[in-house]
Amino acid sequence: MRIGLVCPYTWDVPGGVQAHVRDLAENLLALGHDVSVLTPVDEPHAPDLPPWVVPAGRAVPVPYNGSVARLCFGPLSLARTRRWLRDGRFDVLHLHEPTVPSVSMLAMWTARGAIVATFHTAMSRSRVLQVFATVLQPGLEKLTGRIAVSAAARRVIMEHLGGDAVLIPNGVQVSRFAGARPLPLAGPQPTVVFLGRVDEPRKGLAVLLEALPELVRLVPDVRLLVAGPGDGEAVRAQLPRELRARVELLGLVAEADKASVYASADVYCAPNTHGESFGIVLLEAMATGTPVVASDLEAFRRVLEDGRAGVLVGVRDAAALAAGLGALLQDPARRAALVEQGRRVADGYDWSTVTQAVVEVYETVVAPTPVEVDEPATEDDPGALRRLLAQLTGRVPT
Amino acid sequence: MSPGTYAVLALVLVLLVVHVSWTAGRLDRLHARVDAAWAALDAALVRRAAAARAAVQHLPARAPQTAALEQAAAAALQGGPVEREGVENDLSAALRAALPLLPEDGSAAVRAELRTAATRVALARSFHNSAVADSRVLRGRRLVRLLHLAGHRVLPQHFDMDDDVDQALRSAG
Repeated sequence: MRIGLVCPYTWDVPGGVQAHVRDLAENLLALGHDVSVLTPVDEPHAPDLPPWVVPAGRAVPVPYNGSVARLCFGPLSLARTRRWLRDGRFDVLHLHEPTVPSVSMLAMWTARGAIVATFHTAMSRSRVLQVFATVLQPGLEKLTGRIAVSAAARRVIMEHLGGDAVLIPNGVQVSRFAGARPLPLAGPQPTVVFLGRVDEPRKGLAVLLEALPELVRLVPDVRLLVAGPGDGEAVRAQLPRELRARVELLGLVAEADKASVYASADVYCAPNTHGESFGIVLLEAMATGTPVVASDLEAFRRVLEDGRAGVLVGVRDAAALAAGLGALLQDPARRAALVEQGRRVADGYDWSTVTQAVVEVYETVVAPTPVEVDEPATEDDPGALRRLLAQLTGRVPT
Repeated sequence: MSPGTYAVLALVLVLLVVHVSWTAGRLDRLHARVDAAWAALDAALVRRAAAARAAVQHLPARAPQTAALEQAAAAALQGGPVEREGVENDLSAALRAALPLLPEDGSAAVRAELRTAATRVALARSFHNSAVADSRVLRGRRLVRLLHLAGHRVLPQHFDMDDDVDQALRSAG
């Protein structure tokens, strides 16, 4: 099949949706499909940009959902979207997050045919969606197949947009993580790893830092590795002086090194406070063979199977987090049991399974004719006006 | 009335006409989407019925569940829009009753086809019902009803059925 994927967020900035689109594209290519990805790109001439990525222009940063989204919207992006759709002649167009004002939305407005959309966001009360549902509705009506990556994301669709969506969870490329080697700097001390933007409150690093003094009391030689973009010095400044030496700030980690970061941990910690639709980081840690301590959020509880495959602690509860981490670091047998459970869970979410489910969606919506572009009215084709006149005079539009 | 008032009235009229035309376009698109979704659902249901009929060969000949499945599959394959939901529900029930009798050996292909067919029915039904829901929302709008923008198209109906045979398939291996 010829498949056009659209990613609304900047390709060369790390993020969950970008990673999802990349993994999906690679797995579809491996199955022998023709794949093209339209996305905003900051460095269109970067040597590591895959040949199947088509840049839609540069994106501008906009605050959205408690973090900064980099979006791409305007006449230039629209022109590129049209050209990409026209040249692609896709059997299926697959948009990601079409409610975000970026290229996915532009593609939704201009394309006609077999259009699948995946919804990643799971805000329980999205003001953006509530306000714009009416404006978005004509565009959303064109989606022939809707996918939600989590039960929470599916609920958002049903509440705000009407209609239903099929549930296909996020995937994890198990082979990329299983058997990863620890980072060279990993030592013999018990190590806790945090991965995520350090200055994004909902990722919960502040809760973990608050738990650190108590954790040091329980496990005196414990060490904390923090991997993720953001102002590391500001983080270090928040810490009491005597604890600063225990925290190693790795900064932004290349995608290829993520597995090694997980592998360097005795315990992976996800102290997120809210806004997580799906626990992809937990699955990555589990695929690597690292036990997990995570906040008791709905999405995490689901992935950790109510605590069978990982330790759940109260959200924003630093004392409980310290206790949970401390107990697990001191109990090798429990860690080994969780590693085994974690591997089993991660296998169920492997991309091979997920890609198969997505292809079944494509095969259900695929139409005899490829996806078309709604052309703007030109002198040769007055478009809407002509159709209107035809309707008013009772003639069938040609 | 002053020429200014006429100009404003004319502008309002033009905007209204453009809006009506645009809404009519939306309705057309939605109707096409419902038709395509129904075609996909119809194909998925036929595929499931065919898979059920193929499974009959592998079931013990004398079991009452086998005869029931054969009958239900034949009824579903006969087609016709009349009582389609009821016929498909009967097939779901017959499948659930008969699947535990499928022998472990030699039925892997049948089982796999049944599982794929059941997944397709669930997908196609979700997409069909979403299309119907979107269509009904727009059809319910005052403007659309007042101007009969939907023409003679009948109001699309949800397809409600019990398509849960996954559980039985999983426990059958």
